[in-house]
Amino acid sequence: MYYESALWLSLLIPFVLGFACNILPSARTALGAMCCCVFGTAIAGCIAIVAVFQHGTIFIASNWLFLDGLSAYHYGILLVVFCLSSVYAWAYFGEELRKGHFTRKQARLFAGLWCEACAAMTLVLFSNNLGIMWVGIEATTLITAFLICIHVSRQSMEAMWKYIVICSVGMAFAFMGTLLIAVSAKALELGPHDSLLWTVLYDNAGRLDPKLIKAAFIFLLVGYGTKAGLAPMHNWLPDAHMQAPSPVSAIFSGFLLSTAMYCIMRYMPVIEGATGSIGWCQRLMTGFGLFSIAVAAVFIVSQKNLKRFLAYSSIEHIGIISLGLGLGGLGVFAALFHTLNHSLCKTLSFFAAGRMGQILGTYDIRDMKGALRRSPVWGTGLFLSILALIGAAPFSLFMSEFLILKAAIDKQAFVIAFVFLLGLGIVFICALGYILPLSWGGPPLKKAAPAHLFQYESFLVYIPLTALLILGLWMPAPLQAVLQKAAEIIGGAAAYAPAIGLMP
Amino acid sequence: MQTEAYMNLFLGLAFAPLLGGIINRIKAAFAGRTGQPLLQQYYDMYKNIRKGAVYSRTTSWLFRAGPIVGLASVLIALALVPVNGSTAPLAFTGDLILFAYALGLMRFFTVLAALDTGSSFEGMGASREVFFSALAEPALLLGLATVARRAGTLSLSELLAATSVTSPELVLVLAALGIVFLCENARIPFDDPNTHLELTMIHEVMVLDHSGPDFAFIQYGAALKVWVLGSVIVGLILPVAGGKFLLLNSAALLGCMFMLAVIVGIIESTMARLRLLRVPQLLVAAGALSLFAFILSMR
Amino acid sequence: MGSVLETTMMLLILSDMALLGLSRLRTCIAVASFQGMLLGVFTLLAHEQALTPRIFLIAAVSFILKGFVFPQLLRRSIREASAQNEMDPYVGYSMSVMAGMAMFGAALWLGEQLPLTLAAGMHLVIPAALTTVLTGLFLIIARKNALSQCLGFIILENGIYAIGIVSVVEISVLVEIGILLDAAVAVVVMGVAIFHINRQFDHLDTDQLDSLKG
Repeated sequence: MYYESALWLSLLIPFVLGFACNILPSARTALGAMCCCVFGTAIAGCIAIVAVFQHGTIFIASNWLFLDGLSAYHYGILLVVFCLSSVYAWAYFGEELRKGHFTRKQARLFAGLWCEACAAMTLVLFSNNLGIMWVGIEATTLITAFLICIHVSRQSMEAMWKYIVICSVGMAFAFMGTLLIAVSAKALELGPHDSLLWTVLYDNAGRLDPKLIKAAFIFLLVGYGTKAGLAPMHNWLPDAHMQAPSPVSAIFSGFLLSTAMYCIMRYMPVIEGATGSIGWCQRLMTGFGLFSIAVAAVFIVSQKNLKRFLAYSSIEHIGIISLGLGLGGLGVFAALFHTLNHSLCKTLSFFAAGRMGQILGTYDIRDMKGALRRSPVWGTGLFLSILALIGAAPFSLFMSEFLILKAAIDKQAFVIAFVFLLGLGIVFICALGYILPLSWGGPPLKKAAPAHLFQYESFLVYIPLTALLILGLWMPAPLQAVLQKAAEIIGGAAAYAPAIGLMP
Repeated sequence: MQTEAYMNLFLGLAFAPLLGGIINRIKAAFAGRTGQPLLQQYYDMYKNIRKGAVYSRTTSWLFRAGPIVGLASVLIALALVPVNGSTAPLAFTGDLILFAYALGLMRFFTVLAALDTGSSFEGMGASREVFFSALAEPALLLGLATVARRAGTLSLSELLAATSVTSPELVLVLAALGIVFLCENARIPFDDPNTHLELTMIHEVMVLDHSGPDFAFIQYGAALKVWVLGSVIVGLILPVAGGKFLLLNSAALLGCMFMLAVIVGIIESTMARLRLLRVPQLLVAAGALSLFAFILSMR
Repeated sequence: MGSVLETTMMLLILSDMALLGLSRLRTCIAVASFQGMLLGVFTLLAHEQALTPRIFLIAAVSFILKGFVFPQLLRRSIREASAQNEMDPYVGYSMSVMAGMAMFGAALWLGEQLPLTLAAGMHLVIPAALTTVLTGLFLIIARKNALSQCLGFIILENGIYAIGIVSVVEISVLVEIGILLDAAVAVVVMGVAIFHINRQFDHLDTDQLDSLKG
């Protein structure tokens, strides 16, 4: 079947070409090959995604790999984030090449690891076997660790060490959880081939041992939650985002965190099914979500580094997604929608922050003044994306956050709604406090040194912004169908009608 | 029946000082010397007991009571340890506790006597002795408790009769007791019994001011302590041969005690004394072993 | 036979205690190597009724990886970094051993909470494995030297491996090998990181990695 080969191709292209990138003769060709590889993957991937929504779930590798509504939706986000980031990486490192800060060796390493990271995340999304899913996530940890320290310095080594130690421990916990799931699957008496298949566990969730499953989920939540950046396991996240080159920060925030959240999403229906749908794991998700929002709000108050501020904002948004998943029903729908919005918006923020940092020569918020005057394109991108991030009205993040709030109020969870709003409010005020002087402040420049920009860079700003704006005002029917299909997999198909009604 | 019960008492009273002689001989052999006569400790004690004692004017009755109480308590402990398979003369249920605290009482009075001299040097030794034994005592008690739990009895006689080393827990207990044995008897690697005037000493420092019969009592008490703790360890190792073979059992005990002395001699010849800071670590390790064995036996 | 398995588990716990109580890095690595070999043997012991080629394969891979490859990588890191011993850990060695005993107690309790059905004679396996997991975590948290932390990660993996061996038989061999290899790569990556840290900072004390805050 053609879409099965499309699935194979979208996994194998980045995997194989990743190695090829390491032998290319120059930095430019390595980066170019990397872009081609990502776009090639995107074509194959789009065919597979369309096939999923037309013909239903695709299984390959004797059911070990599959693509269903939930993973297809996430895979779509991955492709968007990687395509945008690859083009941006071309521009970003092009600037560094021009200044001579980027050697051929670094370029080859970066291009290779970039493709492999894409392959590893794809593997996570495609895996039906929960063991393979773990292998994929662990692989992303190990691969991206080197992406953080493409530029070796004391700070980047420190960030990488924290990242690798904390995430490795987290992965060990996740492995423990996976093991316990496998143990509880003993009751199903499956062969070695099927024992960890998600589809099998999903269909037979009621027959799993609830006590074991609960223990397993705690390990899984802590483990994958570490990778997703849920507080209090978030300590690696600000350092890694701050020290990594901006394209890497963009995929970290834009999709790596969502990959880990995706793993937790996969487990949720199995856990709920095994524990008798009493909302046990939803309560856990709500708790972690609220705590993450609170921690992010507290730490955002005193940030000095722009990328660090964006990193804490990622913790906040991951918390929001977790909260949405915890609220169930409409919340799940909103959380999935928020995943897309956050990925788009945060990718753009890191793009803009990275280029502004290159232009102004610093990431210190107090020194970055007059961004709009220095580079109208990236200044606009930075200002508007941060405005969108904090939930300003016409953008789609406002819509998804509003839906989550509505889900909380529908459930009469007023305390949750209050904490949620309080956290968002603090972030809103602080972010405006940072971004207004950053955009307009500072003394007027006599001679603004013209920043060197590529022609296509304005597209990188306006495409995501337009998408965010359109999604905020109008949700296309196909996207809504996709979201519903994905949300049904996670938890119940309840209460979508009001959600649709809310869409202007 | 009677001879059986008193057998270990007789053996200990007669042969305890010989162990010290054996250890010294082994060390001498390792060093390539001829060494002291095997019976040197007996000669020393005989010499000391004939001399008069000198007492400092600053000391009180505590100083005189120290050696006597020490010897008396170690004798009580000795009377609680049977030859394998028989019952000791003072045996009763719970004598395990008395055993541990008889040894504790001996130490307590030695320390009091040392403090009574008012010498800072002896005070230092006393403080070290108390510190180390505070760490060694949990190891000893927990180790004995483990064995007691496995044997289901609190009497040392029944306990030694009931156990031989069959399970891995007992190996742990033996290791812990071995460390305690070396520490309590002030042997290398904890303390060097041969050097008298080093700042790092523990036991020998405390008894510097004793002389004449008092010192003979102390020497005899120390030798008996080696015998008492040693015969507990040997009793745990030796398989039970039943109460009938008294001579066989006694010979086995005696043989094993000499073996133990040889082993101690080898350890002292091949190891260096530990740094003082390291000593607590080793004792904590012994305590951990005992605790570990105890937790295992709890299940 | 149960008693051989039990002895193996006791050796596992004792090696944990040794790791907590020893200060010399090289000795610690030797103990970790011993632990790895022990686990390889344990793999066979735990499945002695049903020795399939799959069990042999896993036992061999883990024996070689955990017993030789990991320790060798660490030793090389020590050589390259000419690493010092742990100077003053956050928690002293005696205290670490005591904490280790407490962790063993906690592991016994936890082992009873987890409703895992095991074959007879294996009642010590889960507590021992959990103790190993906790010991690994403790080493990562309470030691400052990057190498000690890496060692802690290996120990943590060892513990989880032991749990996996007894509790899960049905997983496909591909997954298990993948998992083992992932752990191997993690150790290699940490080794490279240690090398770079040493070159950048001239030491391996992670408590001095404190420039990123807030």
